Amino acid sequence: MTGNGLLRTDGLTCDFGGLRAVDSVSLSVERGAVHSLIGPNAAGKTTLFNLLSGEFPPTAGRVYFEGRDVTGLPSHRIPHLGIARCFQRNNLFPKLSVLENVWVARFSRSRPGPLGFLKRVADFGAIRDRAREIINDVGLEAKAGAPAETLSHGQQRALEVAIALAGEPAFLLLDEPTQGLAPEATERMTQLIQGLARRYTILLIEHKMHVVMSISDRISVMHFGRIIAEGQPDEIRRNADVQRAYLGVRR
Amino acid sequence: MGRQRPLLRLAALIGATILLPILVRPVVAAEIWIFAVAAMALNLIFGYTGMLSFGQATFFGVAAYTAGLMMIHWKAGLLVCLLAGIVVGALTAAVIGYFCIQRLGIYFIMLTFCFNQMFFFVAYKWTSVTGGDDGLPGIPRPPLALGPLSIPLNTSLRYYVFVAVVFLVLFYAMKRIVESPLGLIFQSIRENPSRAAAVGYDVKRFKWIAFTIAGAFTGLAGVLYSMMFGIVPLEVISWVTSGDIVFMVLIGGIGHLYGPLIGAAAFKWLSEAVSVLWERWPLILGVALVLVVLFLRGGLVEALARLRLALARRRLAAGAGAESA
Amino acid sequence: MNVALLAGAVLNGLVTGMIYALIGIGLSLILGLLNIPNFAHGVLYALGAYVLFSAAVGPVGFWGGLLLALVAVAALGGAIEYLAVRRLYRVHPDYILLLTFGLSLIMTEAIILVWGPVGITFQPPVLLAGGVDLGVTFYPKYRLAVMVVAAAVVLACWLFIEKTKYGAIIRAGIEDRDMVSVLGINVRRVFTVTFAAGAGLAGLGGAFMVPVRGLIPTMGIDILPFAFVVVVLGGLGSLPGAILGGLLVGVVQSLMTAIWAPGADFSVFALMALGLLARPQGLLGQR
Repeated sequence: MTGNGLLRTDGLTCDFGGLRAVDSVSLSVERGAVHSLIGPNAAGKTTLFNLLSGEFPPTAGRVYFEGRDVTGLPSHRIPHLGIARCFQRNNLFPKLSVLENVWVARFSRSRPGPLGFLKRVADFGAIRDRAREIINDVGLEAKAGAPAETLSHGQQRALEVAIALAGEPAFLLLDEPTQGLAPEATERMTQLIQGLARRYTILLIEHKMHVVMSISDRISVMHFGRIIAEGQPDEIRRNADVQRAYLGVRR
Repeated sequence: MGRQRPLLRLAALIGATILLPILVRPVVAAEIWIFAVAAMALNLIFGYTGMLSFGQATFFGVAAYTAGLMMIHWKAGLLVCLLAGIVVGALTAAVIGYFCIQRLGIYFIMLTFCFNQMFFFVAYKWTSVTGGDDGLPGIPRPPLALGPLSIPLNTSLRYYVFVAVVFLVLFYAMKRIVESPLGLIFQSIRENPSRAAAVGYDVKRFKWIAFTIAGAFTGLAGVLYSMMFGIVPLEVISWVTSGDIVFMVLIGGIGHLYGPLIGAAAFKWLSEAVSVLWERWPLILGVALVLVVLFLRGGLVEALARLRLALARRRLAAGAGAESA
Repeated sequence: MNVALLAGAVLNGLVTGMIYALIGIGLSLILGLLNIPNFAHGVLYALGAYVLFSAAVGPVGFWGGLLLALVAVAALGGAIEYLAVRRLYRVHPDYILLLTFGLSLIMTEAIILVWGPVGITFQPPVLLAGGVDLGVTFYPKYRLAVMVVAAAVVLACWLFIEKTKYGAIIRAGIEDRDMVSVLGINVRRVFTVTFAAGAGLAGLGGAFMVPVRGLIPTMGIDILPFAFVVVVLGGLGSLPGAILGGLLVGVVQSLMTAIWAPGADFSVFALMALGLLARPQGLLGQR
């Protein structure tokens, strides 16, 4: 299976002892697209993300990014490929300020050279400015100096996305960015993602169907670890298998 | 935060180094700064990076013995010994750190402790080299050779000045490290190691770097100690000293730049004062540790902050009371 | 080196190995379940020894003293967990470690205050005095008895952990603490009991060793790093690992003492380092 997918997986599988959490997933995300991954709870979506972002290696299968085989790379190498991840549960640096959270993510991808470590954090004007830009983009300017742990849940979700953006990625893995958000905040986050869609390729896990349907170019449906359907939003809406898989799932 | 507070604190520190030998004997004062360096080093890996090492005495002792032997057998100069301390401390930490950092949390702590004991037993049994239980005696105090100038450091006060100057230089170095990107990276590792990796940092490598830097600082402190009394006692490499260093960081306040300095001063001064009165000084130490851990985990820095807050509140209430009267 | 010496060294190794296993089991349980390296574990071992000593020279006698050592140290362990350790679960585990370290200082000094700073030697009870001819060598009766009894206690612990329902709860708790509380089990009580049991085993080990090594206030501090090596070698949270690790450490230390005494203690740590390089999770550890 070829094609110019920016990110492509081939038979990706993940076993935990006797449990097959991800079952032979072959997925291709086109450059510039917003590709959504939906499915009932415990379908294996976050596990798939964990495989893609290097949290643990797959049991079988391969991952290709920009045509290169990146299967099994450890998680600290992934950002340097141009892939950034935002987590389902807030995964921040609690006692660091919002600015420091984003700064640290930005610095990792800049190339300061060994002499850079002799400078003060305060001396890196370019990084600080870029960090502030990103913080403004996600709407957290007022909280730039506040410790991440003091933020509300919605603000922390925004920070999650900001940290991912700070890595100047080409590809974003967004894991339920609207998780736990009230309708207003969900709307803001959706608009944010729509804005991001113009500049980044996005693989998005979401449960809120109206969000998924409105911004996705393509949707893959996972159930019991495997892809049971894939296509454009309208096709998926009409697909019988998908409806069956979702029976009993509200939202 | 304005530029004023940090400058004020720095000025206060320099003032403290000038005043200290007046408040306590120069020997005790020198010990305070020496252990402040070791405590700063532990603070870097514990307070900033989140790794509790219970074996810092390994580097303190190895460097002390090395310097002592260099001065006895090779008549090595002062600055050469200091350099040797840095190198030996860093190398030892690099090797031991490689083993210990493979494992997380409790494993790491236990491993640092066990390696400490390993080196302790070597020092204890290798009496031909280290003198074992009796220590390594006969260490001269070489003069400070700066080009054509040779300044003898034969009095306690002179040696104190030297130690204080070295301390201030090291403090500045530590300050720069902590304020550099490295400091923020270390903190991010402490706060959330998996996210630190997820944004692109090789966490193990950075932990190793922190550990090695701490080893270098601690080694230098060990060299300064070796020249204090003309003898390197076995205690320099014992786990008791490791525990003392942990104490100082905890009592002073973890993760604050000035915390370990306050802790070292408090610890050394107290131990001097109390051990004269009662041989069972470690009992008080143990009780203090238990109380701090249970009730005052932020150490003296937090205690001071709480005090300031309480005083501010009282002033506010008094002011409000006066207004409503 | 002659066979008798070698045989003696191996037997000594098995004796201390069994005691190390006893200490290691307790430490491993506390580590696995409560996630803390108990720096007070060595001192609990020492306290058991001193309690036996006081009991044996008093009206209680040696045999009663053994039981008293087990019970008293277990009670102390339970009290420590209930009054102090418990408050720190929500805080970082490093603080529990520091707490146990502080307690070890307090208790060591307390030992010196009560029993004096000088070492004490102690003869085995009359029933077990003297030696036994094993053919290859002559060996003290008492040490043989310790080996056998300690092995029996170790076996009993193993059976309890592996075969009983309460043991299963402990094992489950080591694997997944949150899960166990979700199942409606009183996790706090399990913690207290486990800490007490671990302490009691250490105290019993100390009591057993009194006629073998005598008593000295630093015996707790001295044995702690070896206890850590036992657990690290065997694998955290693994009971069979602690037993295997204990025997290994005991035999290696004893053999090295016979071959080249100055290197005996160092070789134990070298063994640990090698073991970690080869198998970071310990011999029988899973994580």
